[in-house]
Amino acid sequence: MGGVQPVLKAIYRLAWKDVMADFRHRSTFSSMLFFSVAVLLVFQAAFEPDPREAQRLVPGLLWTTVLFTTIMGLGRVFQSEEENGAFEGLMLAPLPRGAIFFGKWLGNLALSLMVMVMLVPLTLILFNVTLWSRVPMLLFLLFLGTMGLTALGVLLAAMTQTARSRETLLALLLLPLVSPLLIAGVQAMAVVITSGDLSGPWLNLLLIFDAIYLALAPWGFGWLVEE
Amino acid sequence: MTQLQVVDIAHRFGRRGVLRGVNLRVGTGECAVLYGANGSGKSTLLSLLATRLRIQQGQCFLGDLDIQKHAEMARQRIILIGHHSHLYGHLTPLENLIFFRDIYRLDTTQDLLVQAITTVGLAPFIQQPIRWFSAGMKKRLSLARILVSHPDVLLLDEPYSALDHAGVVWINTVIDTFQKQGGLVVMASHDPERVAALDHTPWRLDAGILQPWVESNRC
Repeated sequence: MGGVQPVLKAIYRLAWKDVMADFRHRSTFSSMLFFSVAVLLVFQAAFEPDPREAQRLVPGLLWTTVLFTTIMGLGRVFQSEEENGAFEGLMLAPLPRGAIFFGKWLGNLALSLMVMVMLVPLTLILFNVTLWSRVPMLLFLLFLGTMGLTALGVLLAAMTQTARSRETLLALLLLPLVSPLLIAGVQAMAVVITSGDLSGPWLNLLLIFDAIYLALAPWGFGWLVEE
Repeated sequence: MTQLQVVDIAHRFGRRGVLRGVNLRVGTGECAVLYGANGSGKSTLLSLLATRLRIQQGQCFLGDLDIQKHAEMARQRIILIGHHSHLYGHLTPLENLIFFRDIYRLDTTQDLLVQAITTVGLAPFIQQPIRWFSAGMKKRLSLARILVSHPDVLLLDEPYSALDHAGVVWINTVIDTFQKQGGLVVMASHDPERVAALDHTPWRLDAGILQPWVESNRC
């Protein structure tokens, strides 16, 4: 059975399998959600910002929360593959290695985005910021940022999956590499919050980083898993 | 006629040579059984044939297809049932087979998947996540993949482990049918008594060297 459609179906099935695993075990998604809510509550209690100051703080707070929440999810991205030699089974499948990468990435992205959808309104409520009309734009920016963040993260998670302290190692590797994307995301979000303008050099930079990570990570994954 | 041909394969893990100049030819409907002590290279050879490991020296052909150069095409025609079941504990038997069907890009309908589950005797458990299945039940489910995918080549690593007597009889029937339909089997085993029911050619791997099996070197 050749063609692109079966490969897309396989990618979907891989992502579906990971999302199902999470819903049935209530593990990654609930941990990510509780962690992000806890971080926001701590920030709110620590800063107690007035609405004007809150508008200035929201981009940084949101991206910091997203970053640490995503790292938490990435640490478990290959956990389900450890059982019964499942990762070995994936490697024996007649699929391009890049397709396996995209399946894992899509599953992780879906879980991260579910958290984001809850995170943005919660942030606006907690910090008393009345920017409800800009929620779709904020979500769009987080979506773009999370795409690149998780692409690089899944590659590094594959790289560190056999390490003993893999979650620490993952964070150590990911943080410096993902900094440019985060800076672009924070700046683009600040522009959206202050002017409502979803364009400009920071958004372009975000798109460029997404393109680079999404182009290189599947290739790197294929190289990494060959023995 | 499909033929699996292994030509002068050698493999090392670091400094340790695991396989040395292995040659093997298995034709349509034939079954080659590899005997040998632990660490003699049986599983490594099967991993090379399944394209899980990159061939370091030598070549392997499936018909005219060089399996190293066209690994993705070869994987579509080869199934390896190894020590691990490659199943996901949180999925039900049916969901595991649906997952298998989709990542192997098969056209099999859901009815045929259900039929395969029934054939391997797991119909009463079709809605249960397999996490708590016994090793034998997991083995049966992983063997159901053969019924679903109809590969050209079946690679079996210790297929009788974890199976009860009925399971052994059943798997021998599956292998026998597979051979009669033109399938080609390479099996690693420590169990000549159970293999005896099959029409097969025995081989012995000793310190990475593959030789025809003779009665005097029975393991």
